[in-house]
Amino acid sequence: MDGFTLSRIFLNLLIATKWTLILSVIAFIGGGLIGALIALMRISSNKIVSRISWIYVEFFQGTPLLLQLFLAFFGFSVITGVNLSPLVAASIALTAYTSAFLGDIWRGAIQAVPRGQWQAASAIGFGYFDQLKLIVLPQAVRLAIAPTVGFLVQVIKGTSLASIIGFTELSRAASLINNVTLQSLLIFGLAGLIYFALCYPLSAWSQQLEKKLAYK
Amino acid sequence: MVSEVLDLFWAAFWRRQRFVALFMASFFLTVGIAACSGEPNSVGSKAQITPEDVAKLPIQATLAQIQESGQVKVAVPSDFPPFGFVNPRMQPIGYDIDMAKEIAKGLGAELEIIPVVGGYRIPFLQTDRVDMIISSLGKNDERDLIIDFSEPYAPFFSAIYGGPNAEVSQIEDLEGRSIGVAQGSLEDLEISELTKTVGSVDIKRYANNSLTASALVSGQVDAIATGNVVAAKLIQDNPTKEITSKFVLKDSPCYVGVREGDAEFVAKINEIIASVKQSGRLNEMSQAWFGEPLPEAIANT
Repeated sequence: MDGFTLSRIFLNLLIATKWTLILSVIAFIGGGLIGALIALMRISSNKIVSRISWIYVEFFQGTPLLLQLFLAFFGFSVITGVNLSPLVAASIALTAYTSAFLGDIWRGAIQAVPRGQWQAASAIGFGYFDQLKLIVLPQAVRLAIAPTVGFLVQVIKGTSLASIIGFTELSRAASLINNVTLQSLLIFGLAGLIYFALCYPLSAWSQQLEKKLAYK
Repeated sequence: MVSEVLDLFWAAFWRRQRFVALFMASFFLTVGIAACSGEPNSVGSKAQITPEDVAKLPIQATLAQIQESGQVKVAVPSDFPPFGFVNPRMQPIGYDIDMAKEIAKGLGAELEIIPVVGGYRIPFLQTDRVDMIISSLGKNDERDLIIDFSEPYAPFFSAIYGGPNAEVSQIEDLEGRSIGVAQGSLEDLEISELTKTVGSVDIKRYANNSLTASALVSGQVDAIATGNVVAAKLIQDNPTKEITSKFVLKDSPCYVGVREGDAEFVAKINEIIASVKQSGRLNEMSQAWFGEPLPEAIANT
């Protein structure tokens, strides 16, 4: 179709990337905060708190993100009769999904720090939260970087599912333009390049971080 | 030795049983929550909400609500040319969008267009996020149970298309001619069925719609059986070939979808559709987006 020049297509894809970025940032921040809470709950010595965290993680890890988006957007309306706006529904679903995975990754990293570190810290006289903050977490962070960043890259790509709720983000925009011009290789190739440009900086940053935190 | 193996087995058994129990618990939890919208199986279309749940949603007089707020929200397709697609500025355009504009004009309300992904049109309507669906919506019995349909406003049919030298006006005229069709499509089934009684029809099956279309343009076949949507694009891209529709195989027109039980609203929409047909505007739209005039069956309802 005339009017869809190469620069026009690329511009449209870039504009659509705005939603991919917004949804990804919401997922990172929301998921990060709640994930940290989940991780701490999971390692708690209180059995109930630990069990709640476990159920949360198992549920949101075990169900597909598409289903979670659908539940947040349509399911919520059916149960309560209240319509959540697309942004709120997508934020809830993405935050829950990201927090479950990040919480479990961080829980694993904390538990991988040798028990001796906790005992030594307690011997010096640190309370529980001081032990965590000053001794255990700094060591756990090093272990957690690679899986965390790996998962965050997945989340960026996972935001493409939010198109069912009404966001014209990168993947959906590519699909719309393709339906009109039928130049699949060009359009999806460009979209792929943009996704790569979004994801690669994260990986590069994680490699830098790992080098910085490595034991000399 | 045996007792040790048995001990091991016993230990493993208990662990496995606990694993199985936990697995089942989480499975039922998930399924229970996911299936809380009533019956677990919806045949055919995805994402359907059952009649029991529709009853739970507040019934509002949509017409009164629209007149009060002055706004009407319409779900349209965004990835289905020529019914709904995007222009280079990524704005929705198409036959359905024009139809939405006409209906909004008739209702005297401001139009808000909400592009939706095809499989989720009906849930958008049922959860009150849109007031009507104008999205090449076909009518079938399953859908009729949960939403209401207006009069047809758009043609969606399979027909035989050919150039000026293919003079066929009914199935029998196809004898001795070659017909191209996309393999496995609705048209393939129709034409195979209908030509059983007619002898020596050479049906050539191609992998997809664009190959079928190229076959007609390059003269490999006398005529093709395809949907009017594909034909519209074909006619538009090849104006010199003078391709026209010869006769219709199967008619499955498009309807406007509204919530179940909203009789007042449907009546008003039908009124608007009738006036748009009479004024010739619908024919104009059909010519602009499909490259052909409105077929008789729709124009005269």
